[in-house]
Amino acid sequence: MEAVTSLLAGFETALTPMNLLWALIGVTLGTLVGVLPGIGPALTVALLLPVTAKLPPVSAFIMFAGIYYGGMFGGSTTSILLNTPGESSSIITALEGNKMARRGRAAAALATAAIGSFVAGTIGTVLLTFAAPAIAEVAVQIPPSAKFALIMLAFVTISATFGSSPLRGLISLFFGLTIGLIGTDLQSGQARFTLGRPELLDGIEFVTVVIGLFAVGETLYVASRLRKDKASVIKLDGNASMTRDDWRRSWKPWLRGTALGFPFGAVPAGGAEIPTFLSYTLERKLSRHPEEFGKGAIEGVAGPEAANNASAAGVLVPLLTLGLPTSATAAILLAAFQQYGLQPGPLLFVTNADLVWGLIASLYIGNVMLLALNLPLAPVWARLLLIPRPFLYAGILVFSTVGVYSLNNSVFDLILLAIFGVIGYGMRRFDFPVTPAIIGVILGPVAESQFRTALQQSNGNPAIFVQSPLTVFILLTVLAALVVPAVLKARASRRG
Amino acid sequence: MSDPTLPPIPPGAGARPGLSVPDLLVALGVVLLGALLLIGTLQIPFGINAVVGPRVFPLIVSVGTLLLGTLLTVNVLRGGRAEPAAEEDTDPDARPDLRQPALILGGFLLGAALLQPLGFVIGTAVMYFTVGFAFGERRAPLLAGVALIVALVTYVVFTRGLGLTLPAGLLNGVL
Repeated sequence: MEAVTSLLAGFETALTPMNLLWALIGVTLGTLVGVLPGIGPALTVALLLPVTAKLPPVSAFIMFAGIYYGGMFGGSTTSILLNTPGESSSIITALEGNKMARRGRAAAALATAAIGSFVAGTIGTVLLTFAAPAIAEVAVQIPPSAKFALIMLAFVTISATFGSSPLRGLISLFFGLTIGLIGTDLQSGQARFTLGRPELLDGIEFVTVVIGLFAVGETLYVASRLRKDKASVIKLDGNASMTRDDWRRSWKPWLRGTALGFPFGAVPAGGAEIPTFLSYTLERKLSRHPEEFGKGAIEGVAGPEAANNASAAGVLVPLLTLGLPTSATAAILLAAFQQYGLQPGPLLFVTNADLVWGLIASLYIGNVMLLALNLPLAPVWARLLLIPRPFLYAGILVFSTVGVYSLNNSVFDLILLAIFGVIGYGMRRFDFPVTPAIIGVILGPVAESQFRTALQQSNGNPAIFVQSPLTVFILLTVLAALVVPAVLKARASRRG
Repeated sequence: MSDPTLPPIPPGAGARPGLSVPDLLVALGVVLLGALLLIGTLQIPFGINAVVGPRVFPLIVSVGTLLLGTLLTVNVLRGGRAEPAAEEDTDPDARPDLRQPALILGGFLLGAALLQPLGFVIGTAVMYFTVGFAFGERRAPLLAGVALIVALVTYVVFTRGLGLTLPAGLLNGVL
């Protein structure tokens, strides 16, 4: 029960008035950006990184964790009331939730989403509390060759799950890897791909890449094909609340969604998309009202929303124990750790126990805060959807400019921001998912360093990658993740 | 079996007859990027560290990019084409209008150029105004007013509240 002692110490850290305030700021900001179109938790954490450089790391991470969980809560509000999911993991919520809202049951849909998110987030955090230290203990012994193999696994699964085809995902990943290569190679001191520009010797700040691809790219893309009719936001009268019958129909889907979501988040396969789809299919099969599905069944909101949140908690397991991010926001959290000179991984639980346990404790607190923020205040968040788009997107661009300019006080970075904005536009237009590129930028340098460490240990003998059974097993999984979907697809198309 | 949870596949998608020229250009662009990376890689000096030099990883990345670009080109030549992304505020049936993003980009670069000589407030107000205009706001005085207020508040919050240094420009000495 070492975890319990550590967690209690974590609560001591997280329950100081200052840290409670940062948690509150985090969850409020997170809900805000989750509700607003055009800006999400990944982008917000990236924007705040330069600003938070002076905060103590514990407070900064408590705020970031609040933004991370808050974004999930806020996202469901948008998909229920606006029917246009911002993230692929809220497609299902939009499917049933918006139908419910159109039938005048918006309050119940919002309530089951919020309470389900709370239940799943809390159970997920409990699982994280016990799983993470156990995995960290094992992970200390993982050799560099296996770490490199694990990163390869994350690369391949993320490229294959985000976006419409693995090929496009991999191109996006390699683009990110390329960006990550620019700058001085730390091991040999050689400049790589700097095009002779001294500004590029230190590499491109990932904040510039993230903000360019997400915020500027999104702004340019939306401007090119803006919805001309007023978005039909469903009016919400009163609080988000549910009847006794709604509770009776929701609690099982919440638990089943959690059971599906957490493991999918925790294995480095990435993405909340698959567990939300699975949860939806499962609930439709088990429901006593299958005829309601597609017309606004509450189970179809409760299950997938819980799966979504539980997988968000699960994603923190590989991030904290292996330093392996499997979503865009997790990748930016990894970069935030690096900014503070911390390396997430098994040793983090030993060297920075205060920080890790304070962070985990703040997840429990943040979940309670989010429930309080989202049930009674649902109408307030709903009003945010009415912000006129010209003013909203203009504001997003101004904040992006501040975030990037304040990195180095250089206009050169703004030019880079514009370039990445145009690339971000192109990626949306030509169907390349953005997340693999972000993962590539942040994880690419880590992959290279593990690759070289492994080869140096073996004096350059590449056989090191087939000597450890663990490494071989992971590399075979990587190969399977690449080949199996392609084979299945080929067989399906031959039959069809 | 049709599954309502999956977005409907448009008839003939992926095997639509006819070659999409923009898609082909993108695919060839990826190939070109791979080729340029390969040339760039061969220009990286070996360095002293003989076991794994600074070239190895870039070599993997550039060959990979070249390979993926070739695969995409083959895919496009066989009739594959990309479906533009659907976002919260986009209309999937709208005719794309490239003038608006061009306007935003122009306003952004102009604002960035003005940032140091005229100051942060003027520079970002220019950006704000052009984005608002490109998104269809035609009440120019209102938009300009909001742009200046947002820029000014952002400036004060970030310099006074968060201790960042942003160029004052015209406001030097005033604020």
